[in-house]
Amino acid sequence: MKVYDVVPGLEFDPERDFAQSPAWFLDGTHSVPPWTPMFGWFWINFCRHGMQYGAEKLSLPTVKGWDWRFHNGGGYLTLMLVNSEEEKKARETEFRKAILPFIEDYDGLWGGFVQEMLGRYENLKALDLPEASNIDLLQNFEDTISTCRRMWEIHMYMMYGTYTAYILFENMCRDLAGIDDTSPEFHSLVSGFDNKVFQVDRRLWEFSKRAREEGLADLVVQCGPDQIRGKLEESVAGKGFMRDFMAFMNEDGWRMQRMSEINLPTWVEDPTPALVNVKQFIQKGGGFNLDEERKKITEQRKAAEKTVLAKIPQEQRGWFERLMVLAQKSGVFSEEHDHYLDLYTHAMMRRSALGLGNRFAQKGAIDRAEDIFFLIPDEVRRAGLNPDQFDLRYIVDRRKSEWNEWQKTPNPPAFLKEGFDLEMAMGVLVRSMDPIALKVVVGSMPQVRPELKADLYGTCGSPGVAEGTARVIMSEEELHLIEEGDILVAASTSPSWTPVFSMIKGVIVDRGASLSHAAIVGREYGIPVVMNVFEGTTKIKSGQKVKVDANLGVVFILDK
Amino acid sequence: MSKKWLYWFEELNSGHYELVGKKCANLGEMTGLGMRIPPGFAVSVDGYERFMAETGAGELIRQFVRENSDELKSVKKQMEASRVIRKIVESQEMPPDMTEELYRYYDELKQRAAADEIAVAVRSSGAVSMPGQMETYLNVRGREAVVRKVIEVWGSAFTTRAIAFRIEKGMAMEKAPIGVAVLKMVEAKSAGVVLTVLPTIGDTSKIVVEGNWGLGESVVSGDINPDQFIVDKQSGCVECTVNRKTKMIVYKDSGTATADVPEDLQSRRCVDEEELKEIVRIATEVESYFQCPQDMEWVLDHSGSCPHNLYWVQARPAKFSKPMEKESEYLAELMTRMFKC
Repeated sequence: MKVYDVVPGLEFDPERDFAQSPAWFLDGTHSVPPWTPMFGWFWINFCRHGMQYGAEKLSLPTVKGWDWRFHNGGGYLTLMLVNSEEEKKARETEFRKAILPFIEDYDGLWGGFVQEMLGRYENLKALDLPEASNIDLLQNFEDTISTCRRMWEIHMYMMYGTYTAYILFENMCRDLAGIDDTSPEFHSLVSGFDNKVFQVDRRLWEFSKRAREEGLADLVVQCGPDQIRGKLEESVAGKGFMRDFMAFMNEDGWRMQRMSEINLPTWVEDPTPALVNVKQFIQKGGGFNLDEERKKITEQRKAAEKTVLAKIPQEQRGWFERLMVLAQKSGVFSEEHDHYLDLYTHAMMRRSALGLGNRFAQKGAIDRAEDIFFLIPDEVRRAGLNPDQFDLRYIVDRRKSEWNEWQKTPNPPAFLKEGFDLEMAMGVLVRSMDPIALKVVVGSMPQVRPELKADLYGTCGSPGVAEGTARVIMSEEELHLIEEGDILVAASTSPSWTPVFSMIKGVIVDRGASLSHAAIVGREYGIPVVMNVFEGTTKIKSGQKVKVDANLGVVFILDK
Repeated sequence: MSKKWLYWFEELNSGHYELVGKKCANLGEMTGLGMRIPPGFAVSVDGYERFMAETGAGELIRQFVRENSDELKSVKKQMEASRVIRKIVESQEMPPDMTEELYRYYDELKQRAAADEIAVAVRSSGAVSMPGQMETYLNVRGREAVVRKVIEVWGSAFTTRAIAFRIEKGMAMEKAPIGVAVLKMVEAKSAGVVLTVLPTIGDTSKIVVEGNWGLGESVVSGDINPDQFIVDKQSGCVECTVNRKTKMIVYKDSGTATADVPEDLQSRRCVDEEELKEIVRIATEVESYFQCPQDMEWVLDHSGSCPHNLYWVQARPAKFSKPMEKESEYLAELMTRMFKC
């Protein structure tokens, strides 16, 4: 029998796909290292659907969302532009109406979606997987598929609408108040807001205080990451601590260790990453006060709001202030959507797939429960109701060996048609006016200013200057290597990295824009972030002393 | 037996607007929601009408209006009419059987408050919005004084503006759909308002609490710079602005007076964290019950500890500037233009 493609219909095919678009970009933030087949299937199908759904629902005047292809575990994407002026005009008229709900009742809109998704998650979690019938397990999996599809619709509709407001605010700040998004004042304006991700961090910090109070601190600090839980379970106080900690995990731990993959345990299954965060907070010492740190940022923001509003002509202040409030919600949305949408849905995908995986393994369709991540939904369905009748190991084996090959050779950053270069491709993205392209994917291009004699030139994600030891971190598994006062160097960061921001003095990322994770979180923790240096992770070595000047957008390597 | 005209708050709910006026009906509704309100009772519109009929005040007013009907159109005459009619009302004695009943309720109120002597607030409670301020009397002590103040509240339904309003709408002059609330005064440590919406920009994701030491009137009147706490509904995150509060309103022998805030309290927040949480918690509940942003008045008692020292004296739909449609459309237009480049 023929083995299917990983994502049937959406595998990258140079001959056909270059005819559609000359440039396909690797989604380096989410698909490096390469995805497992099942996760790739979900992402390519539904992120693609969501982006087109969001653009269509809002009737974005210039773009129709993005198209996606799968290649060796990587996701490649390209913009779909509106080509005729006539169509642009028609879409503008629709857009003017479609964007109103964002302006008029942002919180109602976002809050409603959060409730809808939480309801779906509760329904999915209600099934007792080990006890469930094959019929119920398969149904749960089908429901998970439709939940993931719905999640991406909400995700991209919200993201397009939210970021449109943010970009307008940036433009207006520049035009009316003379400040742009590389200025520290601008960053103060959009930081100092609480959100769900910070609340989780705050709980972790509180657990670190509790560990200190209950005399568990030394034990936690002396353990390696994998031993913390076991050592704690040995004492009475530690048992009580772990019981409450696991209750917290069951509430807020429905998230993946790696944001966009399902082959690593959730915090609920394995709380090690969360315990490492607790350990890191303990190492910061008793003088550290997360609340105080956050309060300072909030006060700075309020001061910046006053200064900026004073620069706006009186008669323009009304709408400008409303726009500012709306733009300020962008940062909150950027962080919260990861928690309520991506991370939670992925945790549900893992849960449901493993439910079937365990059943398949018991019945002999596959060897191990985790092997299910090497199947795609159609293959899962084949054996869904009668796993004892099917042997899917030949598919798993083939896919696994392919997947192992993918890990060895990195996917190229872009597929470009002959005669088309990266600069031209970037130009298309910028001219598209696609809010996601501008604020997450591309960002601003750094200006090289030789007179500064810097080693790397980037853009300001969060203002400030810092000096410290560089720590190059390539994946979530290396996060525990970070020490107090380090300067984090990474390709990019994601929500599972948030807790380490309270330990580090600065951030250097290869790629990023003013609404990418590193910038938002850097601003909230008041540390400098330089983005879009492109070669940070290749030029800087762990242990080197570096100086980050985010105000100028540059990095100096002090001991070359 | 004559018609019932006095009600304990727990006998009332929002269906009784026309019977006892909005304030009393709301206090009843709030009691039903389990909110702690100062103990008290309501004087219904029937009480007012019975008073007007039995004392003959209603007839006197009608007569006055008949005699002056042509001239009443001028503002000057309306001012005079206000003075005359108020005098007609206020110079009447409460009929003995009504006095008896009021005493009985007042005495039971003392029992309910477990005190020999209590101070009460006597507040107007209009059933329809009538323009013009109707009177509120604070720190009223003794049963005779209560009876007097109830009559004065009735009299206050005849301000110049209220008279002009009646003439404009063709309403009978002696009619005043007005109830009266008699409630125990709380020994206010601090008091203020809470709005479950930022009124200036109509941001419903926030709650704003404002307060000052002493009675809430200083905050409601807007005369001082109160402490302000802006709370995010979803995250619970608080932005505190603690202002220097130099003046407050306190009771004096009878009524109230402005006093200096003691030096050591001036720059201290007048609501602690726990109290703030409780105020916000209740306000959120009330908002979700009524399904619309609320404007509420709270008082923290000197004695007792949180949450037992928190009393509510008002809950009504908040007035706030809904995000202006024009502004929204202007922003939508700006966003649309952004895509043209």
